[in-house]
Amino acid sequence: MTVRLTLGIETSCDETAASVVTSENIVLSSVVSSQVDLHARYGGVVPEVASRAHVGLVNPVIAQALVEAGIEYKDIDLIAATKGPGLVGSLLVGVSAAKALSLVWDKPYIGVNHLEAHLYSCFLEEPDMELPLIVLLVSGGHTILVSMQDHMEYSILGQTLDDAVGEAYDKVARYLGLGYPGGPEIDRLAEKGDDSIEFPRPMIKEGFDFSFSGLKTAVINYVRKNPETPTEDIASSFQEAVVEVLITKARKAALETGAKGLCIGGGVAANSRLREAIYDICLEDGIHPFVPSRAYCTDNAAMVAATGWLRFKKDGPDPLNSGADSNLKLPSGE
Amino acid sequence: MIILGIESATSQVGCAIGGHEGVLASTHSSRGRRHAENLTPQIDFVREQARISLNEISVIAVDIGPGLYTGLRVGVATAISMAFGLGVPMIGISSLDLLAYPVRHCAKLIVPAIDARRGEIFHANYRQVPGGVQRISEPSVSTPDDVAADLLAHGNEALLVGDGAIRYSEIFANLRGVEAAEPSMAYPSAASIVQLAHAKALREEFVSPTELEPMYLRKPDAIEIEHQKKKIL
Ligand SMILES: [Zn+2]
Repeated sequence: MTVRLTLGIETSCDETAASVVTSENIVLSSVVSSQVDLHARYGGVVPEVASRAHVGLVNPVIAQALVEAGIEYKDIDLIAATKGPGLVGSLLVGVSAAKALSLVWDKPYIGVNHLEAHLYSCFLEEPDMELPLIVLLVSGGHTILVSMQDHMEYSILGQTLDDAVGEAYDKVARYLGLGYPGGPEIDRLAEKGDDSIEFPRPMIKEGFDFSFSGLKTAVINYVRKNPETPTEDIASSFQEAVVEVLITKARKAALETGAKGLCIGGGVAANSRLREAIYDICLEDGIHPFVPSRAYCTDNAAMVAATGWLRFKKDGPDPLNSGADSNLKLPSGE
Repeated sequence: MIILGIESATSQVGCAIGGHEGVLASTHSSRGRRHAENLTPQIDFVREQARISLNEISVIAVDIGPGLYTGLRVGVATAISMAFGLGVPMIGISSLDLLAYPVRHCAKLIVPAIDARRGEIFHANYRQVPGGVQRISEPSVSTPDDVAADLLAHGNEALLVGDGAIRYSEIFANLRGVEAAEPSMAYPSAASIVQLAHAKALREEFVSPTELEPMYLRKPDAIEIEHQKKKIL
């Protein structure tokens, strides 16, 4: 079988990324230009700042991805770009760039669901992973537990009813005065702290849905009443509560569905405590843990290219009159 | 020389192809703010109508604003990517220049005014010169009342063009010597881009795709807020 090459483009939030991936899921290049410094002073992503930055960055990043892959545009077989969910102004920059290149290079175009791409990020490093799988997708905007029966065949078991995990991390970090982005900072402090405070484990025994808003409030109330508590201990106790909820539900899902493996994906999957906990439970239960390297947990275009190719094989290309959808959902069940 | 002109800074989106022979084909649509969906198919359609293959294009010209940000960015991102993909240079032209150009035969002061939302317009002053128009004030964003007061203070006879002039026509209607152009002049035309870019191309006034920058005239909201906070402190 001839190897096909997909150019992936990702601009859904504050990373401008491009990547070349083969039809065998081998990553030839993955370039990510992060705007995190641009947004840090505002304590969060400013959509208009992000969109403006993408315009100047997207083509240089694509050029870099082609150079690093050692290929020319002629070698590309498919152009894939994230079409949603995300910030609409940012998404449109990547989609417009991809469609323009599709037109001038005469290559098919496909729009990719960013969440589906996160689900598939684990296959970039372990293309032959055995199915069925449970995937825990955790990021600043999403907390979704997915059961994947086969490729492109999956169903949502549960999701957050209020705040996403990453959102809870950012809000707690802001309250503790830790700056932005909050996740890595809490993770770093937690390592030095003691998880001595018993924060609630919301909905831990109830189904597969999540709720983190109450936990966030509990942390804020505790700090208000006990201002002397070391920040490290707050961070450690909060992180412990979050990870225990996530792990308990993921484990239950894996056991109930008879999954052969358990994967994590999304920005929060870069969290060191969560990564460690996944290995622990998988070892106990005899299932295969899959924890992608941090570069494939956070937003990247390699996962977009890989998913784009799978979708393209299944459904064919998207027409040039397709757009972006900032509220795109994960299709559940096929 | 074949020029592709792209225009998407207002609620209209369009493109045109032309060169030494003038404009060969053009198209516009203004329904439903579907810039991202419509633009690439429009380019393919115009190319076909002009019977030009994409690799015959030697220059990509684009409206760089000011205008509505999301639409503007669709045009600019598409234009930059096409120039990058084809390996050709670019020419950026302001939406205000594009509005002033079709009324260049008017001897009065020409004031293009684009609806900037939030009760403001993007505008600049132009006057007739042999063969075209010349901008005589910096592009700015102001309330229509401020623009009207300025026109009144200088006692100029003026012609206002653009969707901002139409939206706030009642503010300008009372001014002596000031008239607003008809609705057919509401939006910049892609044909004007090709015409203006052709003149610039002959003078080799090109920029590379990495140099082209949209003209926003407003800072992003959060920066604006921080700015105001500093002013208050
Ligand atoms: Zn993401």
